[in-house]
Amino acid sequence: MKHPKKKEHNKRYFDKNEKKPEDNGESKDNQVKVYNIKITPNLIKANKFKNKDTFNAIRPKKNKKFEGKAPIDPEKLEVHSRGEGVGKGVRHPLHAEKLRKRERKYNYAQEQAARAEILLTEGQGGLEVEEGGKTTAISQKIIAENVDITAASKIFELNLGFGPYQAKYSRNGRHLLLGSKKGHLAAFDWFTKKLHFEINVMESIHDISWLHTETMVAAAQKEWLYMYDNTGTEIHCIKKMDKILRMEFLPYHFLLAAVNEFGFMTWLDISVGEIVGHYNNRLGRTAVMAQNPYNATLCIGNSKGVVSLWSPTVKDPLAKILCHKTPVTALAVDNRGMYMATSGVDRSMKIWDIRHLDGPIQDYRLRSAPVDLEFSQKDMLAVGLDEVVEIYNNCCTKTTEKPYLRHRMAKAINNFKFCPYEDVLGIGTTNGFTSIIVPGSGEPNFDALESNPFQNKKQRKEAEVKALLDKIPAELITLNPLDITEVDVLSMQEQMEAKKKLLYLKPKKMDFTPRHKKKGKTNIARKKIIKEVARKDFVEKAKEAKKLLNLQEEQKAKKPSFGVLDRFVPTVKTKKQ
Amino acid sequence: MEDIDESEYVAADHDLLVSAVSKLDKTQHITEPTRNESTNIGSEFNLLKRANRLNLSSVAKILGDTAHHVQISKKLKKTQDKSKVLSKPLEKPQAERIKRSTGYEATKKKVGRWDPVVARSRTVDYVSFPLKSASTKLEPTADFLTKLTLKSDLEKELEEVDPPPFVEEEVEEEPVFPMTYEEMVEHRKHIAKMRAQQSYKAAKAKRQSKIKSKKYHRVLKKEKLKQQLKEFEELQKTDPEEALKKLESLEKARALERHTLRHKNTGKWAKNKLIRAKYDKEVRQQLAEQLAVSRGLTQKVQDNESSDDDVDNEKIPDMTLSQDPMNPWMMQRPDKSNVNAEFNFGYKKFVQNKIGRKDDSDSDSNDENVEEGPSNEISVLKDSISKLTQIQDDSSDDATEVVEQEPITVKVGVKPSQKSDDKPQTQNKPVVTQKSLKRSKHSGGKAKKIKPIATSNWEVVEMEPFIDSEVNVSQDVTEAFEKHEDTIAQKVENKLKQIRHNIEMLEKAARSNKIETRKVKQKQASDNLEYLQLKKKNVKPIIDEELIETSSKTVQDDDKEDQSLPKILNAAQAPVQPTDSSTSNIDPNRFIQVKPKFLNTALSQGNYEYDQLDDDDEQVVPKVNIEEVFEEDDVVASFRQEKEDEINKDKPEEINLALPGWGSWGGKGIKPQRRKRNRFINKPAPAMPRRDENKGDIIIKEHKNPKLGVHKVKDVPFPFESVKDYEASIRAPLGNTFIPEKAHKKLIRPSVITKAGKIIEPMDEEELLLPKNKSFRNEAVIKLLGQKK
Repeated sequence: MKHPKKKEHNKRYFDKNEKKPEDNGESKDNQVKVYNIKITPNLIKANKFKNKDTFNAIRPKKNKKFEGKAPIDPEKLEVHSRGEGVGKGVRHPLHAEKLRKRERKYNYAQEQAARAEILLTEGQGGLEVEEGGKTTAISQKIIAENVDITAASKIFELNLGFGPYQAKYSRNGRHLLLGSKKGHLAAFDWFTKKLHFEINVMESIHDISWLHTETMVAAAQKEWLYMYDNTGTEIHCIKKMDKILRMEFLPYHFLLAAVNEFGFMTWLDISVGEIVGHYNNRLGRTAVMAQNPYNATLCIGNSKGVVSLWSPTVKDPLAKILCHKTPVTALAVDNRGMYMATSGVDRSMKIWDIRHLDGPIQDYRLRSAPVDLEFSQKDMLAVGLDEVVEIYNNCCTKTTEKPYLRHRMAKAINNFKFCPYEDVLGIGTTNGFTSIIVPGSGEPNFDALESNPFQNKKQRKEAEVKALLDKIPAELITLNPLDITEVDVLSMQEQMEAKKKLLYLKPKKMDFTPRHKKKGKTNIARKKIIKEVARKDFVEKAKEAKKLLNLQEEQKAKKPSFGVLDRFVPTVKTKKQ
Repeated sequence: MEDIDESEYVAADHDLLVSAVSKLDKTQHITEPTRNESTNIGSEFNLLKRANRLNLSSVAKILGDTAHHVQISKKLKKTQDKSKVLSKPLEKPQAERIKRSTGYEATKKKVGRWDPVVARSRTVDYVSFPLKSASTKLEPTADFLTKLTLKSDLEKELEEVDPPPFVEEEVEEEPVFPMTYEEMVEHRKHIAKMRAQQSYKAAKAKRQSKIKSKKYHRVLKKEKLKQQLKEFEELQKTDPEEALKKLESLEKARALERHTLRHKNTGKWAKNKLIRAKYDKEVRQQLAEQLAVSRGLTQKVQDNESSDDDVDNEKIPDMTLSQDPMNPWMMQRPDKSNVNAEFNFGYKKFVQNKIGRKDDSDSDSNDENVEEGPSNEISVLKDSISKLTQIQDDSSDDATEVVEQEPITVKVGVKPSQKSDDKPQTQNKPVVTQKSLKRSKHSGGKAKKIKPIATSNWEVVEMEPFIDSEVNVSQDVTEAFEKHEDTIAQKVENKLKQIRHNIEMLEKAARSNKIETRKVKQKQASDNLEYLQLKKKNVKPIIDEELIETSSKTVQDDDKEDQSLPKILNAAQAPVQPTDSSTSNIDPNRFIQVKPKFLNTALSQGNYEYDQLDDDDEQVVPKVNIEEVFEEDDVVASFRQEKEDEINKDKPEEINLALPGWGSWGGKGIKPQRRKRNRFINKPAPAMPRRDENKGDIIIKEHKNPKLGVHKVKDVPFPFESVKDYEASIRAPLGNTFIPEKAHKKLIRPSVITKAGKIIEPMDEEELLLPKNKSFRNEAVIKLLGQKK
């Protein structure tokens, strides 16, 4: 239903079990031997007290028909691994035993998670063409002809007359928000095309954003930031946030992050209405911003080709990457926070390893500078080039040759977003909104507790409360989100040093080596290793080759031996000779 | 001092010295008291340990030669030969100690049975109370139905052959009511009456107990005493045994009195009197009375046996008595020793009477006791006098007194408890001294000085019961040996058993398997009976089989030979290509500078340079490099400069502490020695490598986030000794948004689950029998928890 031309290649759990029934049949065929036993009273008496034993002997140890739980694919298990467990460091027997038990529970959790993957029944869609054919040749028209009606209804176009439009989907992918340069603001359920509200704010709208639920919307207007509810009523006007260019909503922190014309960055905690961070980034005017969903940092590209990462509590950039030698035009970070795509005016597009802060992994040169970049949930990269959207599949790990899909329109692109949990790309253009189908772009299996496209009102309320309870403090926005799981070794060492100075206090023994050693992070070391290995390999091969060729090395003339006095023979001279 | 006869003085000194020297060796010297004055006070401190065994042979010898006596002597000897004298019973403390130790062992063993149960409940994930719950497990329908079937013919026949044991049904008897209705009513009335009376009495007692009047209480006490005495005398006539018991209890009360210092001068009343005593004679008298009472009470009643040792003590010269007219004790004597009169009330009187009577009866056999009777009357006085001599200062220049002092001091050396007795006496001093007021003051000031003399010049060291300990040690050793022997014997026995068992097993193995398994199971069943011997040890299989060692050489692939020669040669000549054969986890491709890939992207309509879009595979490289047009070189340069600055900013600087001209010439044009310069430069610790080192055009700011630090853990809790382990223990999330619900529930289950509204009964011994407890084998935990007892 969702995916046009979807061909299932995934092996399903029931596919494997086809041959099994036959095996079971064989076991059933085994005939049971029957013995005739004459019972005498004496024998009964003799056996009277051994009943229990005989019962045990007769009872089968295991039911061979059901061999227990199915084995788990070790690779799947590895996916859910939480890393190395507690070793034998704990010597206290009781605590060690308790930890062992806990460890077993963690393993159980891991196993359960691996087993639960069976519930992810939906497979990723895709386009399949005949040999020699090209996926780019398949237009939206062809797709619409080949899919069912409901899927085809996802291809649509809205012709709206209020200038360039911005589009954003809500987190569960059900609702769409449109805001135009000329003040047109509209929110609607794009599945059913049911309109929530449509107003004209009579001001220019620079950016729009959904808040934590679909009942609240933020719009960055000419002067200030406004918030509307799902009926279009203005509920807030935040004058502290003025002249905003770009906005991002950080759903787990309940922060609305924005950057304005003067380079001021603001993080507004929408759950308590407090500004948690407000400072100037000193980058000048930039309208290139994206959030990194992995660690909730903001990535801002500037006119010098530098992308910097920001958090609300630190007034300096956490990191800076010189991506291009020319101004950055667009920026996108993928869902897992692994890759960042940047593009510059120099018509280049680079993929970076944003998690390790390394790269570029890929360097592409395009024929024109991209207007916008966007990653889908399944790591497809949409590149907007004026009127054309090109979607690249697998462009991060491998160097792609050609686009996966191409969509040409008669109007310039303003921005685009992939719809979560749908194979849909929504494009905001100069005169309206276009929705196209990109097979295999969305995550096919949604977690209803995380974000549920089919959420009802009650569920939404529940989810809101739960999300508020699970709110992450803004201070935890750092480059490594797992920092919090680590012990603050430095301050601990300081504390212990201070304690050591106290008299009559036995200092605690402590091994300070952290769990994740920052080992092998430098590339140079790795490069050296690789080079060394290659050199050795080469030398060995060369040697063997020589042996096979029987290339005899000229035996050096034996030096005359003086026995013990050899040590006095000057080596330098001999070399010269 | 000068008036004393020189020789006497020397003799006294000599005796002191001798006694002191004799104390030097560590054995317990209880010197036989030399009685130099008549006294019947048999102190507990000069009791002798004496072999009380009667030597029959010596008795027989006395019987002598007369033919008549020969028979008797022979008989005597025979009896001595036959009779085996029982070993001397152990001293009480030792016996107690042994009793305690055995008791401890027994209790330890008994309590130790619970070790595995406790250990298991501590280590287990969760304990749910109540422990015993009726199993709510439903039987399978089939099983349930099988019970309802009627007996088949075969079964009936079998029953005839082998009838099941007849179970007598217990006939429930009708409850017999102990009382009729009327009786019950009567009973209840009676009980109500009793209760009412009780409450009246309680109220009365409460009221009386609240009366504060001292006089009333004194009268009450006296009345009680009198009553008691009366009762006692009556009892003596009617039931002498009961009387004896009563006497004992009275004795106990007296002992209690002895322990407490009720009649000493430490009470509030006495202290008040003490203040006035200086000026008021009467008050002094009162105090003296009080003290006399205390002395009388605290005096130990002498046994008949010990009394014979104290015969000599009775010859105390009465010099001191006549000496001091001011002595309050003396003053009492003329006016009919009222102290004694007061002291001689109650049971004391009775005891004395009794002793007197006894003396009368025993007068033939024991001469010494006769003397004791009358002497007892003045015993208190004498005692007090003898003690007074102790506190007399040096200036009381009486040689005889010094001599008298000697035995007392020796006593002090032997038993330090005497010392404590002395102390109150020194306090008594202002009242008791026989000198004038002025003198008494003087002596009061000197009291501290006197004290050392009273307790001898030698250091008082408590004697340790050597003998006891020695005996104990030897006993311990023998016990240990015995125990060891026992254990060894047990072990040997066990081993033999095992071997026998093995042999049996081997024999059985020859037979059919079925029988064997049965027998083993029987044996197991019998083993199960010994439930108290919880098997705490892991049963380790002893494997005597030799290890089968297979050659671990892996078959080498001969792929190398397969490789064609020219190929290898080519490889040799080709430039070095890194291969990731050995380091599979490192992807070398990542480190090769990425080459720009030119993509055939679509062109917007405004751009007509490449009109035709040909989606060929070949790359289209644009002729004009627009990149160069936009490129700014100083972007890169400035970024690198920024990085450099960033690195330098964090670098700690060297500190030069060199002083020019220190130890050498300084000034213009003179370069300090390099060695010296290096010596005084404080080099900072090498900085940690930066994260962005070798990463090219990437700056990663290395700063500690103080706001994050608040949320971070700064201490590693107890069982962990390394950061790594602790971090590993908190690595996994528990929330149900991260892990499956089932695992989440499992992880957050409380360690103790109690069912609401259920009574939680304590564990009983059945818990020991449960297989889950019996099979608990974590030795380390059991040991750990066992230690806590």
